[in-house]
Amino acid sequence: MTLLWGIFGIDMNVWLDAFLRLQIVVIVMTVTVMGLIYLERKFVGRIQMRLGPMRTGPFGTLQSIADALKLLTKEDVRPATADFWLFELAPYVTFVPVFMTLLALPFMEGWFVRDLQLGLFYIVAISGVTVIGYLMAGWASDNKYALLGAVRSAAQLISYEIPLILGVLAVSMVAGSLNLNDITRQQDTIPNLLLQPLPFMILLIAILAELSRRPFDIPIGESELVGGPWVEYSGIRWSIIFALTEYAGLWGFSILGALVFLGGWQFPFGTSSFWGDFDFLYQLVLVFTKSFFIILTMMWISATFPRLRIDQLMAFCWKVLLPFGFLQVLVNGIVLTYADDETVRDVLLFLTSGALLVVMTYAIYLATRQPSREERVGSMIAARSAQ
Amino acid sequence: MPHEDQLQVEHELETIDLNINIGPQHPATHGVFRMVIEVDGEVVTDVVPHIGYMHRGGEKLSENMDYRQAIGYQDRTEYLSQFNAELCYVLAVEKLAPALAPPERAQYIRIILAELNRISSHFMFLGAFGTDLGVFGTSFVYAFRERENLLDLFEEVTGDRLMYAYFRPGGVAWDVPANFKSRVEWVCEQALIGASDMDRLLTDNEIFIARTRGIGILSAEDAIDYGVTGPMLRASGVRQDLRKDEPYAIYDRFDFDIPIGTNGDCYDRYLVRLQEIRESVKIVRQALEQLPDGPILPERMPRLLRPSAGEVYMRCEDPRGEYGIYLISKGTTQPYRLRMRSPSFCNLSALRQMTIGHYVADAVTILGSTDIVLCSVDR
Amino acid sequence: MIGVLRSLGVTWSTMFRKPVTIQYPTEHRKVPERDRAFPILLWDFDVDESFCTGCHACERACPVECMTVTMKDNPKHAEGVSKRRKILDEFYIDYGRCMRCNICVEVCNFDAIAMNNTWVGHELSTVDRQDLVMDRDQLLALSKTRQIRAWVPE
Repeated sequence: MTLLWGIFGIDMNVWLDAFLRLQIVVIVMTVTVMGLIYLERKFVGRIQMRLGPMRTGPFGTLQSIADALKLLTKEDVRPATADFWLFELAPYVTFVPVFMTLLALPFMEGWFVRDLQLGLFYIVAISGVTVIGYLMAGWASDNKYALLGAVRSAAQLISYEIPLILGVLAVSMVAGSLNLNDITRQQDTIPNLLLQPLPFMILLIAILAELSRRPFDIPIGESELVGGPWVEYSGIRWSIIFALTEYAGLWGFSILGALVFLGGWQFPFGTSSFWGDFDFLYQLVLVFTKSFFIILTMMWISATFPRLRIDQLMAFCWKVLLPFGFLQVLVNGIVLTYADDETVRDVLLFLTSGALLVVMTYAIYLATRQPSREERVGSMIAARSAQ
Repeated sequence: MPHEDQLQVEHELETIDLNINIGPQHPATHGVFRMVIEVDGEVVTDVVPHIGYMHRGGEKLSENMDYRQAIGYQDRTEYLSQFNAELCYVLAVEKLAPALAPPERAQYIRIILAELNRISSHFMFLGAFGTDLGVFGTSFVYAFRERENLLDLFEEVTGDRLMYAYFRPGGVAWDVPANFKSRVEWVCEQALIGASDMDRLLTDNEIFIARTRGIGILSAEDAIDYGVTGPMLRASGVRQDLRKDEPYAIYDRFDFDIPIGTNGDCYDRYLVRLQEIRESVKIVRQALEQLPDGPILPERMPRLLRPSAGEVYMRCEDPRGEYGIYLISKGTTQPYRLRMRSPSFCNLSALRQMTIGHYVADAVTILGSTDIVLCSVDR
Repeated sequence: MIGVLRSLGVTWSTMFRKPVTIQYPTEHRKVPERDRAFPILLWDFDVDESFCTGCHACERACPVECMTVTMKDNPKHAEGVSKRRKILDEFYIDYGRCMRCNICVEVCNFDAIAMNNTWVGHELSTVDRQDLVMDRDQLLALSKTRQIRAWVPE
């Protein structure tokens, strides 16, 4: 878009420029969120061998708009004994930080709301503020279910920030910078996924947990504490959490994953002269497609697994993801300090990270290993009654 | 208690136990059921179930009906295993009226339909159990796809998808359609595919195993003390199945296994019910082969049935346990007393024993694994 | 980990199966011949009157007592057209109470009542519960227009 500003010869005030870019991000985010809700319903429907939304609009494409309109016209219910200001502000405290993470993401080369030198650090730090929103909602609702859900979610969200940080930290060590543009630019020959597969897995799991999606959705356990901290919310306030925050967060983190691990707009041929003036279009498509794959993977995982109990969830974070995350950072440090040659460094990183991934998988297998299927099921089939 | 070694709770602070009401309207309670759980942190210390929301006086109403009209109430009491309840009822009436011995074809049709109903009831359990654990809808939808096949078959035979009123004392009300054998064979194949889908989805899944193994353990002695029957009892390791121990109807002509569990936890109950689907398919296939032609009601059916005076207790192996009918007749057209022994009621009485010491999330899992039918608990 | 991957494999394989749902108001599943919706009365086209003579057999047999029947002398019998001495006068069935048990069909001596086995019988929602009490003309309507292929058990 700097292209367009240049064409029109407009020389903008810095604040106006930021404001306009922000508007573009808002519009794209809203449309994307609606599209993602529709996509999830159709995709999960496909997994469950049913059709998904079909009637509102051609093949149900207008379903999200219909839902948004319905939620806007709903009665605004607030418990009489709820703490007024905390109750009203909690959804916004949850949503705004997620939106602010979108400010540091470069969607194309050179297009971002602001190019922050500490971009990665900013994203991770800001997304941690959402915990306060969950706690506010749970406390202010004056409801035991909400309180239980809020306490659980506070524990979960704070714990899973650490693997999130470690995942992106490992990559930023490889790139040598916290600036997202630099990290993406460095992946012109190899995406970081090949250099660092273990942090990618850790990041995927941590994103699922940060967004409270299945299998980590014990705070908003649908079939037990229906809604968790958000059980007293209705109408548009409810949709700010469950629709906007969750899907905007999903989209934002997927773009982060695509930029940092899958090569972003650089890999495979992002900045080659082949595309001429339209390289920005190719880069945009590339980034969105990559994030699309991450989103689909997360939706697939969400639709398949039962949820983990809170103690199992915490054990998984602190006993599995955390040690391996730290190990990865340590190994990265060693390799990066002592490997002089580029190729040697790349190969070493790939080997060490791959080895750590295998070890982590084996550790999970050992921890959750159950007696083999034959032992479990076989004892049942062989039993006949005494006669 | 299972989690005592993992929890070191420091009781320096004065804490009060929290009372959580998993209320009558809840997505996870399988019906209108209320549980008040006392919770210390996340660990359950006491469970008080409140039932009675679905009491409609079925036993009393049956006293005002004659024997054919009262069949409808059996369906509505056990709304997931209707044919088994109806079977128990008609067998009880036939005990008091020996002139109404059902012909062979009717016996085989009854057994086929009862076992197919067992399959559909266990599919309902598989679907609802996955949902209680948090699988978003995938297990539920897979289970219901299989149930739809079965319900379509039942609609072709009896006319109704859920409330059949098909069995009569003396046989069945009307004959099955001409394509019965091929339809039932197709339904059995689909049921096996569905069971293997659920198997691959859940049985080996580490998250599922971590959520259900070691949860809600009920030892064999406790199970017998509480009067628990059916798959819950078998999962605790007790070899008890009324179809083998006291063969009623014509169950002694079929060759099938009964799956027995070892630990008595939720995982074993799930496995027992999954395996029972396969065993029921075996029974249905054998019965289909042996299905004879012939009449479906005895030659001389009285217009109004008057069984001889007396009392009888008949019990059958319902998908949930032992469903019993205690019938007192004074020789008139209406039963003097019709008492239904509900398996879910007795299985539910073990809930407190199984839940204390576990987490709140497990309470929902355990309740799901008891597989109760609220209309049967409350009649 | 293997079990987790196996579950993912199952959901992957089901993605490629045909959906089992149809879109209801525009498409209808075929109901089988024996489907029991709610009872309706049958019309005798030979003599142009209802089969039902108002004999109260079904009213007595109904477990929930949802029917009210009255009979009158048949004017067509006096004319010599019909063999039925008495004919139906008023017939009310409360669909809100009917439990669709089929007993009325079984006890009827004249095969005059049958269960509606079309989709119309299932799509009966009304706004007011009183509208669910069907009178004689409503009950005969489907049969008079020959839209029914009622199945009566032997």
